[in-house]
Amino acid sequence: MHAPAITPAAEYALERTFERAMAAAGRALAEMSGQEIQIVATEVTRTTSRHIIESAGGAETLVVGVYLGITGSLTGHAMLVLQPSGARRLAAMLLDGFAVPTPVSPDSLEFDEMEISALQEVGNVTIGAFLNEVARHMLEPVHPTVPIAIADMAGAILDGVLADLTMDSDELLAAHTSFINDGDTIEGAVLVMPQRASLQALTAALGAA
Amino acid sequence: MVLAAPLLPGATGGPVLVAGIGEMVITRDPATLLVAYGLGSCVALCLWDPQSKVAALAHFMLPSGPLNSPPVKFVDSGLPTFLTEFRRAGGQPRRSEIKAAGGAAMLAVVATTMEIGKHNGEALQAALGQHGLRLHKQDLGGKAGRTVQLEPATGRLLIKSVSSVSVL
Repeated sequence: MHAPAITPAAEYALERTFERAMAAAGRALAEMSGQEIQIVATEVTRTTSRHIIESAGGAETLVVGVYLGITGSLTGHAMLVLQPSGARRLAAMLLDGFAVPTPVSPDSLEFDEMEISALQEVGNVTIGAFLNEVARHMLEPVHPTVPIAIADMAGAILDGVLADLTMDSDELLAAHTSFINDGDTIEGAVLVMPQRASLQALTAALGAA
Repeated sequence: MVLAAPLLPGATGGPVLVAGIGEMVITRDPATLLVAYGLGSCVALCLWDPQSKVAALAHFMLPSGPLNSPPVKFVDSGLPTFLTEFRRAGGQPRRSEIKAAGGAAMLAVVATTMEIGKHNGEALQAALGQHGLRLHKQDLGGKAGRTVQLEPATGRLLIKSVSSVSVL
């Protein structure tokens, strides 16, 4: 059994990192869309694979996940998790004026190509901003892979990623995240799931090992 | 949105035992449903003894690894434990219906995770073979999540995905 890699000091450093990263991601999305968009990391927690599925609402909860792999000086997985209705509003926010919304129920899991593309971009920007912030401290490049958006049960989306980690580490970072635009707040979660060695390197680079 | 549990046809409103990742559930109560929610690459193995009416469901996560806690996280080390507990409850694996579902490739383009579901299915069939057992029915692979529900009264295994419900 490994000792926890994330100490309280590391958790604090990671909170500040998430805060800066989400603020930067909000500015990037605002510039991209021409709208006032703010992203706030309201709470950063360390958690385990079992609890991460529970915190998504349970294994059968329908969610939209935007997955990116982490490569470079850190390795692991990351995912932006949204409720279907929130994902649809977020996509509409970014696509305002560029696409005709598909007439479906807000909770439907049917997303058209433009919506999928917009959501993948949101995942790319938010998780990319976090990795950029981390890379600044590590003085080495950290790269996200091409984003993939998928809509299905939370347990089904996450269990393969968790299985890839489970032999190595069972510590994850979850940042509860709010996307705020014109009075509408869309809740989501940014999950960062590094391999154990990467988690230790990350906390060391942030000065909190 | 949370799908109400149990959502599947045939639900009786009776007790439900849920097998989380790496867990197993066993019952002799015909009114108790055995469920595993939101399987992706994980595999659910179901045994139902039509004589003793003992039903069991294991929720495996990975093909191989040490016997650990939770008890059926790994197929190779967890299957013997699962069979032992099934026998202890009064079930006989050799006269039982054996079914499996899951093993999907949810993120098919991600190299490190794309093969886990496939390997889970293969490991399960190999491990059953080592005990002189085989799958009688299966719904393995694909790219969609599944929730499975085993009915001890009948041995029916209901499988629900986002777009469909089927019975094994």
